[in-house]
Amino acid sequence: MSVLAGVSACSRAATAEEAAFRIDYPLAAARNTRVIALDPEAERIVRSASELTWGQARFYTAVDPGLDLVTMAGERVPLAGEIAESNTVVLVATEGSNAEAVATIGAACKVRGIMTAGLVVTDAQHIHDALAVLRPYARILLVPAEEDDLVELLRATRA
Amino acid sequence: MLRTEINELLTQTGPGTPMGELFRRYWQPVLLAEELPANDCPPVRVKILSERLIAFRDSEGRYGLMDEFCAHRGISLWFGRNEQGGLRCPYHGWKYDVTGQCIEVPSEPETSNFCANVKLRSYPLVKRGDVLWAYLGDPAKQPELPEWEFVTVPEGQAFTSKRLQECNWLQALEGGIDSSHVTFLHSGNLDSDPLFKGSKGNAYNKGDLKPFFEVVDYEGGLLIGARRNAEEGHYYWRVTPWVLPNFTMVPPRGDHPVHGHFWVPIDDENCWAYSFDYHPTRQLTEDEVAAMRAGKGVHSANDASYRPLANKDNDYLMDREAQRRGETYSGIHGIALQDASLQESMGPIVDRTKERLVATDAGIIKARQKLRKAALALAENGTEPVGNRPQDQHVRSVAVVLPADQSFVEGIGEAMIAKPGVPQTTV
Repeated sequence: MSVLAGVSACSRAATAEEAAFRIDYPLAAARNTRVIALDPEAERIVRSASELTWGQARFYTAVDPGLDLVTMAGERVPLAGEIAESNTVVLVATEGSNAEAVATIGAACKVRGIMTAGLVVTDAQHIHDALAVLRPYARILLVPAEEDDLVELLRATRA
Repeated sequence: MLRTEINELLTQTGPGTPMGELFRRYWQPVLLAEELPANDCPPVRVKILSERLIAFRDSEGRYGLMDEFCAHRGISLWFGRNEQGGLRCPYHGWKYDVTGQCIEVPSEPETSNFCANVKLRSYPLVKRGDVLWAYLGDPAKQPELPEWEFVTVPEGQAFTSKRLQECNWLQALEGGIDSSHVTFLHSGNLDSDPLFKGSKGNAYNKGDLKPFFEVVDYEGGLLIGARRNAEEGHYYWRVTPWVLPNFTMVPPRGDHPVHGHFWVPIDDENCWAYSFDYHPTRQLTEDEVAAMRAGKGVHSANDASYRPLANKDNDYLMDREAQRRGETYSGIHGIALQDASLQESMGPIVDRTKERLVATDAGIIKARQKLRKAALALAENGTEPVGNRPQDQHVRSVAVVLPADQSFVEGIGEAMIAKPGVPQTTV
């Protein structure tokens, strides 16, 4: 076993004084996140979040079968083009609708190695349906999420 | 990423801070019972939530926890004489009972009532299981005594240890709810640690290195479910409960004892990790207890002051050869020190404005949010927090294989509720 001494030793390196010498430089660009509402109530939540200031996050509504997304301005755009530069897709659901779109989006993300997260913002009555739609495709699910969880998640991940 | 002011809100637990006041709504572990082993034994210094206190056990077996310093000249009562129903300052003989009440001032006339007006601040200190618990908050808001299963099972079914961790409590807690690090940091221990090896769940763990996660909000805190592939059409779920503010449990493996932690702030740059193992339905075996005492499982081998023998002063006894051989992933031996070494390396209070969280950190993100909301709700509206009621504390971690289409919350049913005499749900 080796035990280091001097400036590289943990006893010194882990102090608050040494933390002050961590090099300070601008962090790399924000995450390229796409946020997709899966139903009308989810669209209200997503639209509200979209009105805040973000780095590279973009916001949409899904429509079956999911090959296109609808921007917050109402423009229909191809899914493939919108996620081409993305590394995270957040799906927001309040019920179990648009299952086909979720499958399409989920498959597209899997092929491209894009992280998928799901927020289920609903009461107990609709959780099961929403979960059943999202579970196969979302690597992480927040259940039941509160409305402000979307903003918390986006802020925490520097979207 | 957290803004500076929120990082400070969550990490500062001294008197008068929002998070400190939140902690003061809960019974917290402050000593192992073995630290006050007998009536009139030596007093013990206690620092918790940035308060310097002294604990002692009087001639009648009553526990006391009070201001460390004599009201007369500020002498540390650690030097005190614990005798005849109280703790006496060796400087001028002032004596205090377990409530902090001064009961003798020898320099005063025998009939003087002077000492009746001298009282050190004190807090209730009670023994539950192997642990002494203190409540530092408003007496009018004192919750019921702790009901965690590890302190309520019959004697011989539980073991608790403590170790010093030289960083802020939140860094340690976040490790406790971060299920994804197990796949890497602790991967070398699943087959070798006597308190982990041999369970079928280990094979699922190692067979699927990219688990899916579900973070479920529940009344006492969060349930964090990690889902891995099992047999065709089934998933292996490991469910970690976090109960506000600082309790976590690790999902069980086979018939091994179940374990978990409390992360208790000493001050803003240090915390105690109280680590427990218990079995709901049987006595711990001699081999299991020996392994726990030797620092296996979630425990650590410590010196007499509960500082791990592997610590930052000896680079945690880094063993690069063991790392090369694949015995340990990080080169540090033991699960507890694997966690502690990395969390301490972040610095005493990590600057969370610089971190780069990812979506799979959602459990940490959600826990921070719940802590922040609970602290502010208490500070601004007097809203009582959750986690300090018996129903919040009757909780268990769970490991289970479920059909692929079943929600883990539905699937585990009441398995996460601790019931006397009912075995844990485990794989």
